[in-house]
Formats: sequence, C-alpha cells, structure tokens
Amino acid sequence: MEVGFIGLGLMGRPMALNLLKAGHKVHVWTRRQESMAPLLEAGAQGHASAAEVAALVEVTISMVADAPDVEQVALGAGGVAEGARPGLVHVDMSTIAPAAAQAVAARMAEKGIAMLDAPVSGGEVGAIAATLTIMVGGEQAAFDKVKPLFEAMGKSVTRIGDSGAGQVAKACNQILTGVGVAAVAEALNFATRSGVDAGRVREALLGGFAYSRVLENHGQRMLDRNFKPGFKAWMHQKDMRIVMEEAHRLGLALPAAAATAQMFNAMVGSGLGEDDSIGVLKLLERMSGGAGE
Amino acid sequence: MKLGFVGLGAMGRPMLGHLIAAGHELAVWARRPEAAAEAARAGAAVCATPAELAARSEVVFSIVTTGADVIEVAFGGNGLAEGFRRGGVHVDMSTTSPTVARELAGRYAGLGVDWLDAPVSGGAAGAQAATLAIMAGGEAAVLARVQPLLATLGSRVVHVGPAGAGQVAKACNQMVMVSAIEACAEAMRLAAAHGLDVAVVRQALMGGSAASRMLEVMGGRMVSRDFSAGVEAWLHHKDFGILLGEAHRLGVPLPIAAQVWQQLNALMALGWGQDDTASLLRVLELAGGT
Repeated sequence: MEVGFIGLGLMGRPMALNLLKAGHKVHVWTRRQESMAPLLEAGAQGHASAAEVAALVEVTISMVADAPDVEQVALGAGGVAEGARPGLVHVDMSTIAPAAAQAVAARMAEKGIAMLDAPVSGGEVGAIAATLTIMVGGEQAAFDKVKPLFEAMGKSVTRIGDSGAGQVAKACNQILTGVGVAAVAEALNFATRSGVDAGRVREALLGGFAYSRVLENHGQRMLDRNFKPGFKAWMHQKDMRIVMEEAHRLGLALPAAAATAQMFNAMVGSGLGEDDSIGVLKLLERMSGGAGE
Repeated sequence: MKLGFVGLGAMGRPMLGHLIAAGHELAVWARRPEAAAEAARAGAAVCATPAELAARSEVVFSIVTTGADVIEVAFGGNGLAEGFRRGGVHVDMSTTSPTVARELAGRYAGLGVDWLDAPVSGGAAGAQAATLAIMAGGEAAVLARVQPLLATLGSRVVHVGPAGAGQVAKACNQMVMVSAIEACAEAMRLAAAHGLDVAVVRQALMGGSAASRMLEVMGGRMVSRDFSAGVEAWLHHKDFGILLGEAHRLGVPLPIAAQVWQQLNALMALGWGQDDTASLLRVLELAGGT
C-alpha cells in the first residue's frame, strides 16, 4: 500500500520503518528535516509537506506530540486535508484528549476524509519490535482498510468503538501505567529503605497477585537505575493532564490518578522531565530524605 | 467619580450599592434586562453596551463568572476596550486564571488603558458587609488611584504584585479554603462514625489549635446540615480546574489540592454543584459508613 507517515520521533521512526519492512511504500514528512534521514536511507520517499504526502497515498498516519500538532497536520496550511485524494483515510496515532480527537475527525469528515484515532501502548521498545497495542476509534470500513498497516506495527489491534474511543482506551491505559509506575516505585523504595533487597522483593512479587508488566519491565529498569527514556516523564505528565481534564469535565473522581499526576508535575518541576517516567523513583527517594541520583 | 460596573450577581449587587452609597456616579451594563432594571432602581444609569459604559467611566469594575466572560466583556464586540479613553482603568474582581489576567493587562497596555486584577474573598456576606479581602495585581500607581474605591468594598486591600498576582493569591486562597472545608468534612465524618454529637466536637475544636474560619462557617453548616448555597460548589470546582492546570504548566506538585479536586468532581457528579461546598460532607457519607 502507498502510505504517508508524518512525525518521526522516538515512536514514529521505528513505526514507519516497520511499514517499510512489511513491504509498503512509505512517504514521509516531518517538521525537523534531519529526522527524515534514517527513513530515506531505508527506502522511504521524503516530501516538502503533509499535503504533498497525502496527494500520493491511500492512508496517512500522524504520530506527533499534542493536540495542536494533530490539528495542524490534519487541517493546517500544507496539511493532509489540502492534498487528500478522494477516499483517503487519515490515522492519528498520537495521544490526545478524546474530545480533541472527535473534533478533528468531525472537521475532516466535512471534507470527505475518514479519520481514525489509533493511539498506542508499548513504548519505544514495542514500536521497534512491532509489538505495540493499538486502540482504534472510528468507522469500521476505515478500520478494515488500515488494519494491515496496524498489523505491521503492532501485535494487538482492537477497534474499541466510534471516533474518540481509541483515545478513551488510551486514557485508561495511562491511568493504569501511570499509577502502576508510581506504585512499583513506592514499593521498591519501601523495600530498600526497610533494609531489604528490592530486587528479590520484585522477583517474589512477580509470582503473585501483584504481578504486572510494569513491575516486570519498569521495575527491572528501576533496579538497574536505567532512567534513559523509554517514555519521557513530561509526556506521561501531559497524558495525565488529558485524563484529569476529562475527569473534571465529566465529574469523575480519580483520586489515585490525581496523586500520580502530581508526582509527574513534581518530576517536571525538579528537572526530571527528560528522564523516563520511572524516574519517579528518584523523586520518592528525594522526598524520603535520600539522594535520588 | 464616574464609575462603571459589570456583573450584578450575588457579589456584584451589594458592591454596586456600596459605591452608590459612597456618593459616586454609577452606570452599569448587564446581559439580563431584569438585572439592569434592578440596578436602575438602585440609582445607576444603564448602558446598552460595555463600550458605552467604558466611554462614560473613569474606572470600570467587573465581577463575572469565568475568564472567558471577562475577555468577552473587555475585548468582545462592543467591549470595554472600544470605549475606554486613555488612562481609563478596568478593575476585574472576578476569579480567573493568572494567565487571563496577564493577557488582558498586556492588551490594555497597548491602548493606554490601565488594569488591575482584584479578586476577592469573603463571599456574599463579605460583599454585603463591605468586609471583603481584596487581592490586587497590577501597577502600584494604578492601585493608589482606585484604593479609596476598593476601601468602600472591603476591609483589607493588599497589593500582591504585578498583573496576574491578584489571581495567584486568589488561587492560593481557594486552595487553602476548600482544602480546609474537606478537612472539616472528614473530621465531622469521623466524629459521626464514632457515634458522637458533631456539634459538640466542632465546639470543642473551635477552642483549640484547629479553630478556623472554615470550621466555624462551613463546619457550622455541616452540623446543621444546611447545604443551601453560600457559594455554589461548582464555582470551587471551576477554580480547582484552573489551579491544577497552572500546577501542571509550572511543574508544581499539589498533592492535597489534587485530592480535593477529585472530591469536588464527585460532588459535581452527584448533582450538588448548585449547593454549598459543605456538601463535601455528603460525598464522604455516600462513599461509606453511615
């Protein structure tokens, strides 16, 4: 399939590479031109705008930082809508608020462009290994058309429901992973400060009801003190903001998520924003009188 | 002095009355005709647009609900900005975000119009008694010009800092106040769960280190189960949305405020947004025990 990919950051780059590996013809554009180099070397074709990409393909995919970027890529000057051919499906795989995803999709629909929200879970590791979990919102027909592309990038692909439903699922995912990372960090810090080997605690817990992917993967990286992202704390902070603003709008109590969001605020404020979100461990150590290095 | 007033709600009406009683020449603009008619009966002239109001006033006060309302009144079609002469002053006493206050101050500065954000604490009772605490952000010289006017509205006027600083102080005020309401509610809940008379417990606490304005006023409402609104709880919910947004932007952790925000979310979901914030007690009661 001829496919366009816009946004080649930590996640977008390996995802586009996996589309190439699966035999698709990939057209790319990204704001920072130097980010295109690895894709061009691998055989992708570079372009001067998202509109130029959209004019050549059946499906465009965007993977960018925040809602204004999503809107800009889709509907802004030189955006996908400007170049789209009839029948184009535009897929946004960024993490933004459900309401924002619905608003962009509605405006694209007015222009005859079907749009899917398809945020992912699995981090950079999952993006490289093509094992991402992909949560999709939008029309069934558009989903069916894009499914082979999703399968080239991820292992678990689920259409959750209509437009915005993918982002709702992603928000649920961020509640679980955010609170989970904080809980694992608290448990390991608790073990260490109690004079117990946190590694052995983790190993023991992996066999019981406290087992989780976060305890397994993030827990190990905490023990290794490997704070290299991964998934940067400031991005998790952004995702928790989306969750908390939706909760405010809907009148939902999310006390555990709220506490976690404040931990991520503290990370960003104390200069740990570029660390992986497992750096919340350092914050807890500092709050508990340790060095937190 | 020729003064303008926008926002004739539970706070604005008595404030307007105090300014008229102090001998000033007042004019109003109001979206609702019945509010304008009431102001006219109180002795104020009625203008057709905010622009018209600003054109005839040296100082215009506003006390409206949201930041979007202030922006609309100031810079919407026929807004105050279209009518102000150079040297005019807009004193906004609404509770908005520091960001909105700074933005409006900047836009007015380009027109030679002065600005103060001067949110208040003290509620409708404080407005009626002219005992409000007023937290002002803006230039000291501008505050000095309107100080005698503010003194007719409140018993305490503090210059906190430049534009936006008043709103920062107000955000801190809301955080301390509503967190204290939640603490009162939890204390009342615990006492009740032990089977105690909460009125007696509150009375005992009022004599010690836990005594506070909130334990007195809101604790009193909890004891008498009077949940009819002093301040409608949805306004506090709105304020917490603003202040946690600022905390996100600045990278500042507010763990207690974040928890109180969730209790307010629950209060909204339970349909008590138009009731008093003392309803935080009812949220706890619903969540367990009896």
